[in-house]
Amino acid sequence: MTTSAPESTAQVVSSEEIRDMLLNLVASYLEQPVTDIRSDVKLLDYGLDSIFALTLCGDVEDEYGIEVKSTLAWDYPTIDAITGFLHEALSERV
Amino acid sequence: MTVTENLSRQPAERRGPLADLDTPDTLEALFGDPDDLANPVGHQAFVDADERGDFLPAGRKVLEAYGIGAEFVPRALGGRLGQADDLARVLRTVFRHDGALGLGHGAINLIASSTVWAAGGADQQRWLASVLLDNRPTAGAITELAYGDDLARTRLRATERDGDIVLDGRKEVINNVARAHAITVLARTSEEPGSRSHTLFLVDPATVPRDRLRFLPRYHTSGMRGTHLGGVEFLDCPLPVSAAIGEYGDAMETILRCFQVTKSVASGATLGLLDTMLRTVTGFGVQRRLYGRTVAELPHAEAELAGAFTDLLICDAMTTTACRALHVLPRQTSVYAAATKYLVPEIEQGAADRLAVLLGARSFLREGPHGAFQKHFRDLPVAALAHSGATVCLATIIPQLPRLARKSWFVSSAPDPALFRLGQTLPDLDFGRLQANAGPDDQVMATLLDVGQEVQSDPVLRELCERLVGELRALTVGWRGLSPRNRTPFAGPVGFELAERYAVVLAAAACLGMWWHNQDHPNPFMRDTAWLISALDRLTTRLGYDPLPGAGDAARHVFTELLTRHAEHRAFDLVGRRLF
Ligand SMILES: Cc1cc2nc3c(=O)[nH]c(=O)nc-3n(C[C@H](O)[C@H](O)[C@H](O)COP(=O)(O)OP(=O)(O)OC[C@H]3O[C@@H](n4cnc5c(N)ncnc54)[C@H](O)[C@@H]3O)c2cc1C
Repeated sequence: MTTSAPESTAQVVSSEEIRDMLLNLVASYLEQPVTDIRSDVKLLDYGLDSIFALTLCGDVEDEYGIEVKSTLAWDYPTIDAITGFLHEALSERV
Repeated sequence: MTVTENLSRQPAERRGPLADLDTPDTLEALFGDPDDLANPVGHQAFVDADERGDFLPAGRKVLEAYGIGAEFVPRALGGRLGQADDLARVLRTVFRHDGALGLGHGAINLIASSTVWAAGGADQQRWLASVLLDNRPTAGAITELAYGDDLARTRLRATERDGDIVLDGRKEVINNVARAHAITVLARTSEEPGSRSHTLFLVDPATVPRDRLRFLPRYHTSGMRGTHLGGVEFLDCPLPVSAAIGEYGDAMETILRCFQVTKSVASGATLGLLDTMLRTVTGFGVQRRLYGRTVAELPHAEAELAGAFTDLLICDAMTTTACRALHVLPRQTSVYAAATKYLVPEIEQGAADRLAVLLGARSFLREGPHGAFQKHFRDLPVAALAHSGATVCLATIIPQLPRLARKSWFVSSAPDPALFRLGQTLPDLDFGRLQANAGPDDQVMATLLDVGQEVQSDPVLRELCERLVGELRALTVGWRGLSPRNRTPFAGPVGFELAERYAVVLAAAACLGMWWHNQDHPNPFMRDTAWLISALDRLTTRLGYDPLPGAGDAARHVFTELLTRHAEHRAFDLVGRRLF
């Protein structure tokens, strides 16, 4: 992946913050309370399949100002997996 | 408005499709005069073959003589595939004469081969190139009857066993599959649900054990009756491991990228069907006399004919822009290709329906001088569905548009003019640069604002552009306000409606770009504002506006050009080259 964010936005983001952001995002897509979403369940099991992955990757790019592969949610199928990937990517950037 | 200033910005040398409008191109010349009853590849011969439910052998010979297969092979591999819009125009010629040939011996080769050019190994590419350069048919066995466009649920399985790949399962409604010398097959290579569980394989049917491969009975269709739609069943069929196209698990991504090419090119190709329908009905209109004048002289008929011609120009602006964007804006074409594959068949079908009304009783006849109309009329909806239908195309862009609304519209800058300049050669198609989804940089849409600025001195164009910019503003608000759920596979009708409106505004932007950046077009009609005014007026009408009173004069110019092109046997597209 490439990092393309301006210096100023590059700051440490904790795994917890990333996971919360993703949980809220997925809850909003599904119009369900965030407490109903589990970070270790596959997004596919919530009915969010390939096309959704494209949406998610755009939202992640805009949220953190980085570029990610559009297939992010294909390769990292749960919120926990995406969190791990993003945490590492964002830490590298700093 | 004056365009001299713009003209001075154009390159002096005229190349590409605008270089010669007065002699038919090689392929068109091989087809000759379609109305000549003695022509073995004239309309009558194709209508007869269609009635028999078969390809016209003489038609296939024409394509072989021309060497159609080379059109699908990248230049680097010894073929002629360089620019997507060039390929679309070649295939348009075939569709002008026969849809079954255009799909079965044309577009299908691109569907079958593009994934190999994008992801295949050097040996696979060389082998497939040789098959196509020999003009042998190929097939792409991608969809399954049970799951249609939901490719992720593909069931045909490929497993590794004793150093072989073993295919097991069936594909149905596949063009040419029983005759193909090369078949690309989408297979499941992992039981995991999701989008990393599929791999494409390149199959040489001549080398697999005959008892492990079974062809299923042919399907007969309402239109394109000559196409050979069949099925194939692999019964624990062994393939060498080298048959995999690219990495395991990459098929969905490869397909998402390649189908941007196939959708754009196929949309541009099918315009040949509308070209012939419009030609047939215009011929009827100028010959048949009612109430002491020709049908074409009746104001309503005149408006309908001019409208259909305008529709064709709109569609060509959109498809040519989508095709050229594959070269110039490869990061964005996921949206452009799908918007085009949605809107173009929609506009074509509307135009065809109105032409059928105009042709009246003759539109139903399967024989006689207007039989070609009825045949093309049957072919059109089949051609439109064959490679992903309208709804699926909209579903592809819905998740992507909110981001364009947030990040791009009214922000992105106008594209490199090469995107629109028909005379400017583009670097060869590079499948590697295409992306599964679009970035936040809708430069085609930025053309609406960019060229919109330039037409302020023309009151009619100014008004039309204001409407379109207003619509883009409304779309921006609409998409930003859409609930996140409407950006998922569960999107409601509201998302679909906004996506439809987006496609219409995008088409308008393409028309503006094509007009402004082709002021070196040898035909003054294409440099003038009449077609552009008519096009934008039709598109804003589609958005629910009343027709602009000032656009009436423009429609008359368009009609005059239609009659001229009809009399001179010229194509009704942006280039307008002589056909025979
Ligand atoms: C002439 C012809 C030639 C063909 N040749 C080939 C070939 O060579 N190779 C090949 O692999 N296939 C081929 N096909 C198959 C073709 O690609 C499929 O028919 C096509 O993909 C549509 O599938 P379906 O009609 O089964 O619709 P489905 O995908 O089953 O869809 C059913 C309905 O649901 C709607 N729908 C689907 N997805 C969504 C969504 N996400 N959101 C909202 N609505 C949705 C659709 O619009 C449709 O109305 C051919 C078809 C034809 C007609």
